[in-house]
Amino acid sequence: MTTLPPEFGLDVITAPDVLTIEVVGDLDYETSDELLATVADHLTPDPAFQRLRLDFRGLTWIDSMGLSTLLMVHRRTSATGIALTLDNRPGFLQRMLDLTGTLDHFTATAEGEGEAADSGTGTGTGTGTGTGTGTG
Amino acid sequence: MTASGNATAGLRDRLWEAVLDGDAYTAADVLHAGLDDGHDRETLLLDVIGEVQAKVGVEWAADRITVAQEHAATAVNERVIATLTPRGPAGPGAGRTGRGRVTVACVDGEWHALPARLVAEVLQLRGWQVDYLGAQTPVPHLIAHLHRTDPYAVLLSSSVPTRLPAAHAAITACQAVGVPVMVGGRAFGPDGRYARAFGADRWAADARAAAAALETGFTAPDATAARQAVDDLPHLTDQEYTMVVQSRPQLVKQTLVDMEERFPALRRYTEAQRERTAEDLAHIVDFLATALYVDDAGLFTDFLTWTAGILEARRVPARSLLVGLDLLGGQLHDFPRATALLHAGTAAVTARPVRSAPDPEITTE
Amino acid sequence: MLVVDRAGGIVEANDAARTVLPDVTGGDGPYENLPDWLTEAHRHMTGGLGATWAEPPSGAIGGRHFEAHPRPGADGDVAWWLIDATDRHLAEETLRREQERAAILSEVSSTLLSSLNVPRCMEVTARLATRHLADAAVLVAPAQGRRHPVTYAQAHGPAVRVTRAVDPATVPGLAEALQGFPPVPTRWIDPGAIPAWAIPEGFEGPVGSVTVTPLPGHGVPAGALILLRSSTVRAFTESENVFARLFAARAGAALSAARLYTEQAAVTATLMQELLPPALGGVHGVDYAGGYRPAQDSERIGGDFYDVHPGADPSQESLVVLGDVAGKGLDAAVLTGKIRNTLHALLPLAHDHQHVLNLLNAALLTSRHTRFATLVLVSARHRAGRVRLRLTSAGHLPPLIVRADGRVEESGTRGNLVGAMPAVSVRTEETVLAPGETCLLYTDGITEARGGPLGGELYGVERLKRALAECAGMPAEAVVERVQMLAAQWLGQGRHDDMAVIAISAPRPRPLTVTGGDMHRGHSGNPGRSGRPGEPGVPGDPGTPHERHGRSA
Repeated sequence: MTTLPPEFGLDVITAPDVLTIEVVGDLDYETSDELLATVADHLTPDPAFQRLRLDFRGLTWIDSMGLSTLLMVHRRTSATGIALTLDNRPGFLQRMLDLTGTLDHFTATAEGEGEAADSGTGTGTGTGTGTGTGTG
Repeated sequence: MTASGNATAGLRDRLWEAVLDGDAYTAADVLHAGLDDGHDRETLLLDVIGEVQAKVGVEWAADRITVAQEHAATAVNERVIATLTPRGPAGPGAGRTGRGRVTVACVDGEWHALPARLVAEVLQLRGWQVDYLGAQTPVPHLIAHLHRTDPYAVLLSSSVPTRLPAAHAAITACQAVGVPVMVGGRAFGPDGRYARAFGADRWAADARAAAAALETGFTAPDATAARQAVDDLPHLTDQEYTMVVQSRPQLVKQTLVDMEERFPALRRYTEAQRERTAEDLAHIVDFLATALYVDDAGLFTDFLTWTAGILEARRVPARSLLVGLDLLGGQLHDFPRATALLHAGTAAVTARPVRSAPDPEITTE
Repeated sequence: MLVVDRAGGIVEANDAARTVLPDVTGGDGPYENLPDWLTEAHRHMTGGLGATWAEPPSGAIGGRHFEAHPRPGADGDVAWWLIDATDRHLAEETLRREQERAAILSEVSSTLLSSLNVPRCMEVTARLATRHLADAAVLVAPAQGRRHPVTYAQAHGPAVRVTRAVDPATVPGLAEALQGFPPVPTRWIDPGAIPAWAIPEGFEGPVGSVTVTPLPGHGVPAGALILLRSSTVRAFTESENVFARLFAARAGAALSAARLYTEQAAVTATLMQELLPPALGGVHGVDYAGGYRPAQDSERIGGDFYDVHPGADPSQESLVVLGDVAGKGLDAAVLTGKIRNTLHALLPLAHDHQHVLNLLNAALLTSRHTRFATLVLVSARHRAGRVRLRLTSAGHLPPLIVRADGRVEESGTRGNLVGAMPAVSVRTEETVLAPGETCLLYTDGITEARGGPLGGELYGVERLKRALAECAGMPAEAVVERVQMLAAQWLGQGRHDDMAVIAISAPRPRPLTVTGGDMHRGHSGNPGRSGRPGEPGVPGDPGTPHERHGRSA
């Protein structure tokens, strides 16, 4: 019997200035709305944090809707002046960001949506730490 | 062969040469010369193209042509069919003879489209309005099509026996919306026995039989008598089919592990070689599962003896299959039907005359 | 109680019997003035069979229902005790009729529910009506334009469907029924006034009685049912009219569901028509072949798409597009349509892929969502036996190129996806295909197919490349078919996403003409899977064909 995919879940950790959301499981067509809703809940007009960390340590798979949602999260955070980082990216996520040419977009500064700045503000800590799970 | 078969023998030989060469132009020329000689399109489709396509399979199995040539030959045949039956807006004979509308499709997962295509072409020539849905038609798409068009009948084609459970699901789904089903293709057995087991309304041995059956007429199935697979095949309640299908990955993995234990030389295999081995084992398991589904040892032993022939054509000793059967048997000993099938398989392979040189590394115990 | 002798003569009748059968003793001949059913029961008794019924004989006498209980007497006389069972009989009759009607209604529902095709539903309704309600039935559907679909059925005959201009006002109550007004009482309808069009061809004898019943639909009527009985049969009773309305309610609900489905399916079909990949072939000396396998998921119309836009003439480039839209269902389908239309409009600019993609990006960008597409643009032109390609990936899997010697190259083109970011920047790469070489575009449905012998594994780009290495020299269609076949085998029974593949090939030239395609001559390209004696021969030796039910028709 094929094993069921791990349960999708979001762990929200608040710290001064930083909101961390740990994404666990598959971020896909069925689950990505949940991430967007969670981000929206915290993105008040005057949020108590300057940085949103999405931690992908527990991410098991991402599909195109998942990526679409990350782009929407980025659009929202940019609009509010919040810096977004995508941390602990597994290999498949890294490859997807590379392939779709979205990595620079995500790592650009909050003010400069669209300008592929590589100032490094939001490169995150996990570049290249992919485990390579899930790809053939 | 028939009289027309003899008359077309020359055309067949010339088409065979052309498809082997991947030469669609010469192939088209051959068929058009046939038309000029007064052969009708149906004869050319079935007795020339159809026969040549059948030969492609035989020659590939005997390792006399390559996979590339095999696919190229099919591609050429498809192109030639297109030039042979120029398509008007509604097909050449559509509606003219007042014949009804029919749907022709391949079972989901069945990529051999040519047999179904030939049937579709022949029916169209005979005046039916044909909706040809092509290879690998998912059942929900097929049913949506039936609701939309309310055809007189649906013709389902399947060549690969392992698609039989999918074929069965498609048959019952079509009948449940009140559309009669005719099936054809190698998968259903030379005598159509699986078509009967699955409750298909008709079985056709070939395209001409399919056309003839349509012409004699059908009664619509009783849509309210909704059947499920187990109603046709009560043996499925023993869960052996389900179990083998669900544990296929584990069966293959364990057999690989056991094989390496028995033959340490296998540990030196490259990743690609290991994967091929795994795929071959997976195939055996697939056919075992299908044989459990239809409850017919013949399906399994036919597959094994055929595979043995193919292996020997490639100078691989057929008894190498026995190792896999033996190891699978060790894992499935609690399942009486599966065990009986594996025994039958072993007997069938053993009974074959050995044709290839003994293998230096592996001896059967 | 009355006593009847062996020959059927009435020997005695008490007062009660005389009340029920006033003339019973007045007759001369045997059985005279006895009800037939009692006569028969008596003959049964005296004929040697005795009282062998499961239920006592019973029947009507003067509008009431009696049971007759026999007591054999001397000399073959039988004393019949008549018991008035009218009330019980009525109750049983009603119960039986109700059960019968419930069974009919259940049959109507299950028969109709199995089909979502409107004409078929109408046919089934009319046929069932003739089986259970009337000698003939005519189902008139709401007008389509000025004509009404009309379905005729008669008992023991096939149903006939026609669409004709009829005036509902010519049948009393029909126009009202089609507008959803309550049914007109049967007794108001003059059977003689029914127009010929409302009577099935071949209906026997004059029409004796008619009832017109609306088929209630979802808010609007689904049609009306005209039920006809010939004059030799009794007229419709009120109870039968009530039942006809129940029948019509079931039929109307099924018919409306079918109509709703058909309307939606028509919308989907129209969309699908727009979205379905085109049939491909040779264009201006370049061969194209495409393959598309939709996800089984029926909610999914398809997020994968491809198109080939031929150049205006052989000297012009043709533009090939293959792409994949994020998400599924109608939203994805709408976006797919938009992309294909926009690209079509941008064809004159196709010499500059980056420009086209930026214009497309701008057209797709919206504040409402970040639904994006990834795609590959390929401009192809035949020149002197070779095919020159300009390849641009907008965030899509890069094309793979199969060389004549079996090498498989991955194109170096890279770029941003379209529809979610402010601008698109791409790197276009050029390459040339020699005869027999192929460039393959594909969507991730292929490489992300999960399955394989060990289960749950992704097919992956590396396997695809290995498979393509065996496709050297194959015509475009054959490459597509091969890739589709391998993906299908890899999947087995597994679920899958949309899978789209398109192959662009440089055809091997024909000796005299230089258009269209075939594969290179000779059988040398691939040594095939012939035996390699040096390798260990076990199941799964690389020399073993894993596509072993290969091709054989």
